Amino acid sequence: MALFPVISNFQYDFVLQLVPVDTDNTMDEVAAAAAHHSVGRRVAAQPGKIVRVRRQGGADFFPRAMRLGETDIKPMETLEFIFCEA
Amino acid sequence: MPMLERADWYDIARDTNWTPKYVSQEALFPDVMTGAQGVPMAQWQSYDEPYKTSYPEYVRVQREKDAGAYSVKAALERSNIFASADPGWHSILKAHYGSLAVGEYAAMSGEARMVRFGQAPGMRNMATFGMLDENRHAQLQLYYPHDLVSKDRQFDWAQKAYHTNEWAAIAVRHTLDDLFMARSATETAIMLTFAFETGFTNMQFLGLAADAAETGDYTFASLVSSIQTDESRHAQIGGPALEVLIANGRKAEAQKLVDVAIARTWRLFAILTGPSMDYYTPIEHRKQSFKEFMQEWIVGQFERSLIELGLDLPWYWDKMIAEFEFQHHAYHLGLWFWRKTLWWNPAAAVTPECRAWLEEKYPGWNDTFGKCWDVITDNLLAGREDLTHPETLPVLCNMSQIPICAIPGNGWNVKDYPLDYEGRTYHFNSEIDRWVFEQDPVRYRDHMSLVDRFLAGEIQPPTLAGALAYMGLSPAEMGDDAHKYAWADAFRPDPLAKSAA
Repeated sequence: MALFPVISNFQYDFVLQLVPVDTDNTMDEVAAAAAHHSVGRRVAAQPGKIVRVRRQGGADFFPRAMRLGETDIKPMETLEFIFCEA
Repeated sequence: MPMLERADWYDIARDTNWTPKYVSQEALFPDVMTGAQGVPMAQWQSYDEPYKTSYPEYVRVQREKDAGAYSVKAALERSNIFASADPGWHSILKAHYGSLAVGEYAAMSGEARMVRFGQAPGMRNMATFGMLDENRHAQLQLYYPHDLVSKDRQFDWAQKAYHTNEWAAIAVRHTLDDLFMARSATETAIMLTFAFETGFTNMQFLGLAADAAETGDYTFASLVSSIQTDESRHAQIGGPALEVLIANGRKAEAQKLVDVAIARTWRLFAILTGPSMDYYTPIEHRKQSFKEFMQEWIVGQFERSLIELGLDLPWYWDKMIAEFEFQHHAYHLGLWFWRKTLWWNPAAAVTPECRAWLEEKYPGWNDTFGKCWDVITDNLLAGREDLTHPETLPVLCNMSQIPICAIPGNGWNVKDYPLDYEGRTYHFNSEIDRWVFEQDPVRYRDHMSLVDRFLAGEIQPPTLAGALAYMGLSPAEMGDDAHKYAWADAFRPDPLAKSAA
């Protein structure tokens, strides 16, 4: 496990934010860490929806259970966090 | 004894070029300092400054200006204007003084470089007065707020801001270093006086003086007017320098300097003047929106100046104009949300009445920026002010040093513009910022943004609290909502609930 900073570009928010996560975190856990800094602060919660993670500009989301350390995401890469149907 | 008219002796008196005997011309005027770009000194003889003055005339006029400004200040010393002004106006003053006062000293150094290394005698002569102007501006803008420190210690940041690692101070320093502290004489003439002053501050100071008078702050109005009249004179140093470069086949080089300088200046304007005009100025005193001001005064004036000189509009002109719709709203939201990192108290200015004004001036505001403010307002109404503060840092642009941000809500278009260079990934707010970096990456590559420093372990403890301490903000100086959240009361469904808040 290792501390791993990523950049959160959270859907409907206005700013990129620094989010410290861990290489052992799953994509759902990474999404939750990013949501902590946006949802309920400047972005309205969307009950019933989940937040998925993809590269900036990417078409595909990372699998929800995939661990950060298993991906080729680089430290301080900008990730998009998008509300999706559960 | 009859005196000659100035026009009869001016050209001879100010033509101080000579042929050096003991050192080479290149040693006396190295290209790296002159920025002449290979244009021989003889060609610079055609430089014709549009505003001519002599030293006795200059001193006489400046003395009158100083006497005027200081006498207004003295006359109004005991008035109640400051105490009765809206807190939003106080924030404008604090942001202005902190971001500009010491910058005037930097401008003095820039002018001094033109005095020493300007290729044209006319440039050296005008810059001598410009240097004295900038010294006056620094002194005035340090002295005036000093009187207010006893009323509100955030005014101490007029003196302090530039000597700290506060993020907005870094953003201003980074820009001014680039435009005139680390530039040759010719580059300074173009980037400081033509782009920064003619293009932006000269107009902005006119508007600011009018706003001050409208608010009733005649002390600040007279101060800013006094400075503006200097600006309008020494800002004319750059135009003739551009003419010489263009006439000698250096249009592309000149164009690049102008384009870089406008790009960088626009960012500072968007974050300082934008929120001041559209949010901090009480709604009853707003005469035009920031967008209207930019379109009428900056774009209109600047386009004419550029075309008349034979230059083109910057390649990003349309992109910049598109940013008038949203960039300063995003900056305002960031300033307010990270308000503890500021030396002023941002006025949220999002009451129902303010939001109606914003929607009228910027159609779609409620559906975009309004969505974020909805959440913030709901949190305040629910007694959850804690959720209106951040728990992390925003990512800063490696060019502007300002948070990377854009449109939220249903117009969401926030995007990183990254660039990999020599093994490091840089992050930018827009194509424009990234383009500026690409013009001279060696110049910019080693600078560490506040976030870069945080990740490199330079900020300890590595927490938001550690970052605040690193920025030099004491708890008594940290920014807060200008109106202590009173604006949120307007959204309470039950008026009786106001007293319970």
